[in-house]
Amino acid sequence: MRLPGFEYLNPQNLDQTLDMLAEHKDEAKILAGGTDLLVRMKKGLLAPKYIISLKALDSLSYIKDESDCIKIGTRTPIADIIASKPVQKHARALFQACEKIGAVSIQHYKGTIGGNILQNNRCHHYNQSDFYRSGRQACHKDGGKICYAREEADRCNSTCQSDGATALMALGAGLTLAGKDNKREVELANFYTTDGIMPFAMESQELLTEISIPKTNGESAYKRLAYRSAIDYPIVCAGVLLESDNSDKIVRARIVVGAMGRAPLLLANAASKLKGKDMNDQATFKDAATAAMSSAAAFAVHNVGSTLEYRCAMVEEMVLQALKEI
Amino acid sequence: MATKISFILNGDKISYEIKDHWTLSYLLREEMGLIGTKEGCGNGECGACTVIVDKLAVNSCLYLAIDIDDKIVETIEGLASTDGTLHPLQQSFVDNGGIQCGFCSPGMIMSSKALLDENPDADREEIKHALAGNICRCTGYIQIFESVEAAKELAVEDKGGKNG
Amino acid sequence: MDNIEVTPNQDRELSVVGKPIPKLDAAQKAMGRAEYIQDIKLPGMLYGKILYSKFANANIVKIDTSKAKALAGVHAVLTGEDVPKKMKMGFIKDNPPIKKGRVSSFRDEVAAVAAISLDIAKKALDLIEIEYEELEGIFDPEKAMEKDSPLVHEHLKSNVLKMPWNIHYGDVEKAEKESAFVVEDKFTTTWVTHCCMGTSGAIALFDAADNLTIYSNTQIPSLAQKDFLESLKAMGLENKRARVIKPIIGGGFGSKLDTYAYEHIAILLAHKCKKPVKIMFDRVEEFNATSTRQPTVIYIKQGCDKNGRLTFRDMRMVLDNGAHTSWGATTPSVMLMPISSLYKVENVKYNAKCVYTNNTYSQAMRGYGNPQATFAIESSMDILAEKAGMDRIEFRKINKNQSGDETPQGLKITSCGLEECIDAVKEELKFDNNSEKGVGTGIASLIHVGGGARIYGSDGCGAILKMDDYGKVDIFTGGTDMGQGLDNITAQIVAEELGLLAEDINVVHSDTDVCPWDVGAHASRSTFVAGNAALGAAKKVKKKIQEFASKILDVPAKDIKFKDRNVFFPGDPEKSMPIGKLLRKAHFSPNGTMLMAENFYDPDNRNMGKDLKGNMSMTYSFGAHGVKVKVDEETGKVEVLEYVAAHDVGRAINPLLLEGQVYGGVVMGLGYALTEEVVHQNGKNMNANFRDYKLFTAKDAVKIKAPVIETIDKDGPFGAKGIGEPGCVPTAPAVANAIYDAVGVRIKDLPITPEKVLAALKEKKGD
Repeated sequence: MRLPGFEYLNPQNLDQTLDMLAEHKDEAKILAGGTDLLVRMKKGLLAPKYIISLKALDSLSYIKDESDCIKIGTRTPIADIIASKPVQKHARALFQACEKIGAVSIQHYKGTIGGNILQNNRCHHYNQSDFYRSGRQACHKDGGKICYAREEADRCNSTCQSDGATALMALGAGLTLAGKDNKREVELANFYTTDGIMPFAMESQELLTEISIPKTNGESAYKRLAYRSAIDYPIVCAGVLLESDNSDKIVRARIVVGAMGRAPLLLANAASKLKGKDMNDQATFKDAATAAMSSAAAFAVHNVGSTLEYRCAMVEEMVLQALKEI
Repeated sequence: MATKISFILNGDKISYEIKDHWTLSYLLREEMGLIGTKEGCGNGECGACTVIVDKLAVNSCLYLAIDIDDKIVETIEGLASTDGTLHPLQQSFVDNGGIQCGFCSPGMIMSSKALLDENPDADREEIKHALAGNICRCTGYIQIFESVEAAKELAVEDKGGKNG
Repeated sequence: MDNIEVTPNQDRELSVVGKPIPKLDAAQKAMGRAEYIQDIKLPGMLYGKILYSKFANANIVKIDTSKAKALAGVHAVLTGEDVPKKMKMGFIKDNPPIKKGRVSSFRDEVAAVAAISLDIAKKALDLIEIEYEELEGIFDPEKAMEKDSPLVHEHLKSNVLKMPWNIHYGDVEKAEKESAFVVEDKFTTTWVTHCCMGTSGAIALFDAADNLTIYSNTQIPSLAQKDFLESLKAMGLENKRARVIKPIIGGGFGSKLDTYAYEHIAILLAHKCKKPVKIMFDRVEEFNATSTRQPTVIYIKQGCDKNGRLTFRDMRMVLDNGAHTSWGATTPSVMLMPISSLYKVENVKYNAKCVYTNNTYSQAMRGYGNPQATFAIESSMDILAEKAGMDRIEFRKINKNQSGDETPQGLKITSCGLEECIDAVKEELKFDNNSEKGVGTGIASLIHVGGGARIYGSDGCGAILKMDDYGKVDIFTGGTDMGQGLDNITAQIVAEELGLLAEDINVVHSDTDVCPWDVGAHASRSTFVAGNAALGAAKKVKKKIQEFASKILDVPAKDIKFKDRNVFFPGDPEKSMPIGKLLRKAHFSPNGTMLMAENFYDPDNRNMGKDLKGNMSMTYSFGAHGVKVKVDEETGKVEVLEYVAAHDVGRAINPLLLEGQVYGGVVMGLGYALTEEVVHQNGKNMNANFRDYKLFTAKDAVKIKAPVIETIDKDGPFGAKGIGEPGCVPTAPAVANAIYDAVGVRIKDLPITPEKVLAALKEKKGD
């Protein structure tokens, strides 16, 4: 399979990169590892005029263990994150999520954490060959007005299947976005538009440069269900974070469910069931997991992975498994 | 857009004028005639096109040719010695039934090489882990795992021989 | 015809047969030097590309190819109008390679182009303008059988194919009345596909006299040649030649048992352009435009007496034929084998209807109907055993097949290791030892043709053997190696017979210009039939060598033995000579000769008669599979913990390759059981990629033991039977039975996905 033609730009530093982005805007796409972008290009889902490679920007590949947080450059390969001791220690959910991405030997060296977060939403009806899509009217994501995943849907029902983003949202991660004249930080949880067509709240001239994971006294875990052990997207996944005080009482909880909606779902109501409860109270875990299932169901997109009913049921199970692992 | 790149391919210094949108598998197969690298899906899902770039196993179908500039590339064609002696991995895939139709074999062998180069003592679980991105429809994988394990032994014997 | 009698060699000490000799072409494959169709470029070659339908069912109102034709670099654009009337594919010839006027599935070809590059060919396809009038499609075969259903092919007046699949042996009604226990169930199986790692492709070219050469990775070179000759005739090229060259094949599994549109279109384009034209599928096309295993709806009823003896088996099936007819519609002929003959059962009824729908059309795939039928039979066996209150293994042994049996279908069981296989599985798997929650074991058996299968008028294979001056052999066989290892089987058989080493034998199996006829690599027939063909040729040459050596060594011809590249007389160490030397003596002397032989072996099996009876194979392979699974009751996910696949193989000609066939078959079967499904929505393939079509990955690989039972079949080459397909035949029912044993739910619909298991568990608990 061949790629459509494009011009390859090879900026040597961040400023040059941002200049190029500012100049070419929507006509340019950032190439990090390429394992999502190039596949979409081969399917004819996009044909950018310019590809801006981050290959010279080694400055975006790092894992810094700071006193209150772990900072990860967005071009850091998945393999480096899996191997990182600080990540394993302070952000176990991310470590567990990265282990599950694609297939180790291959995608992990090319695939980057930034790319994993920014992987486009998927849909059984959209992520098809250009010929497949050409035989019908364009869907929302293809620039049209209809949705094949759900009849009469007034918006795109594609699904975010990022393992990394689900784990990072549970960890309360923040993102740094750089533009030519500005730099801003945003909570990952606030980074999503809930629009399947353009799922991320970022401008075309912005570059995701850094992920910051706050260190807490808590523990995190990530669980996913998939049909296979490799080369697979999650059917459902869950990331959780629990922080307790000296008497094992839960003081802070975050529950995030992935592969269910247009973005990873931060389920505050479910998490609230855990606050003030004992860390070893399994019955509470069950309550929280059940609450997670009902909250997530409202956002569930009937699309990739499996039936809606099964995926909803598995939300409860994945959340429960993740909580139990802590 | 055409660009000139330089890289080391199986030990040889190469300069090549490429187009920006060429993938590495396209460069190897269609331009350079190195047909040993197979393409089974073109989307990074089957691993048949696996080559080694700077010691790491990568899918050459999702690797831009332009990105091998200044890098070291190893393909299946570079494994056997110049006298024709097979690399221990090639020999053990032959001897242990690791090859049936053979279409996945170059990719399997390259993934295995990247693994053993880094971790010569890889156990069964590590081998499975490393080959998870390489699909085989013929063998059920068992004889492939056995081949990699046998290659570890062969490699050890080789070293023993050379070092007395 | 001076056919040489082929006799078993069971008492002989063997030095090449039975040895785990590595696959002869493995080294070049390991070095990346093997040339597949993907790798072949011919001078001046053009690239062909096919345009498929945008609808499952539609009238083509208008096609405008003018823009495509005008594109620089385009050499030809074809539509249905350019296809000669009589150029049709499929075994009832109902399918032109490019459709005209009407399309009836998404994989229907509507146009094709040839251009100087693939990119230009693709661009040209985009420029072809087609106006369709969409029609209502029909996608459910059972609905398609209803009276008021729309018709896929209006001129046929019915969606049900006229096929003879309606049989009754014995008296099922009477037997049912007399049965102590009867069970009745419905099972369904869906589309799965071969997923050859090397996709399909062909290169066609014509010489100056309009003779065709076609490179294609076909499993049926001789039958493909016949199809191509018919196409040439339809094109007005009578009395021309068609040469089929097989490059190294990147996997077959039945996918290449027919000729396809891409081959015939390549021929049309090559003829029009007067240049070689290559059509190569990408992975999406491979998923969309190659055939699948046929989906089935299966109704089964069977019963036993109070002692557990099977009394009757009554099965009815509906097969989704898709929009056109390839060999899928004949799979009931093979399904009939397990239905009538897996275990002893006297009274058998079977009715199968193949029904046209607007889905993709199906074809042969490893096991050829047997996996579907065995899924129902062996699931039902467990259900019946439980109802009868019998141990499921004991129940199977009570009803086991045995040597000397003749089954209701007329199959003659000449050698049978079924009981030994069941015992081996029982021994390896420790059936009654499952105290762990969610863990269970299952067993299922199989019968399959192991000595050819007479589907066509001939079930034969030819072999031509020549020896050079150095004791080396070239053998030209009709048989096809597609990775399974027929090259080794042939070489080992010939080497054994002539006292040579396997490496002394060069097996040529790639070109109809030099290789004799063979009916094709199907029905697990190659070891048996091509093996016997080669053995016969070797015996003929051997006899000639003996006669010559007799003169030179001055001993009786019959006493001359062959070993380690020598001929010798056992009684006298002086009377020995290297074969090469002997051959040189025969060659370089007055009235000299070089030793060659040809042999055509056609087994003494029978076509099915009008009564659908007949001993279709010279012998039958048997096997039993056992599996231990763990079911996660929270997610419904099934994990395979251990697998044992025991087979009666006659004789293991090459244990290494035999294991490879079994392991590979089992994992393909496990995919069928648990993960694989080509998802179709209104005829459209929804998962044409390896991410969404779930093949087992290396990380999902399973521990498999493969006990080998040797029964030394009297007709097999050195006693061997075919074993290419059995590995994937009883896998799904073994898994389904193990799941039932583990958690008490019976899944009757493949694949057994976590959601189906979970739903069944919920239903069982009553919520």
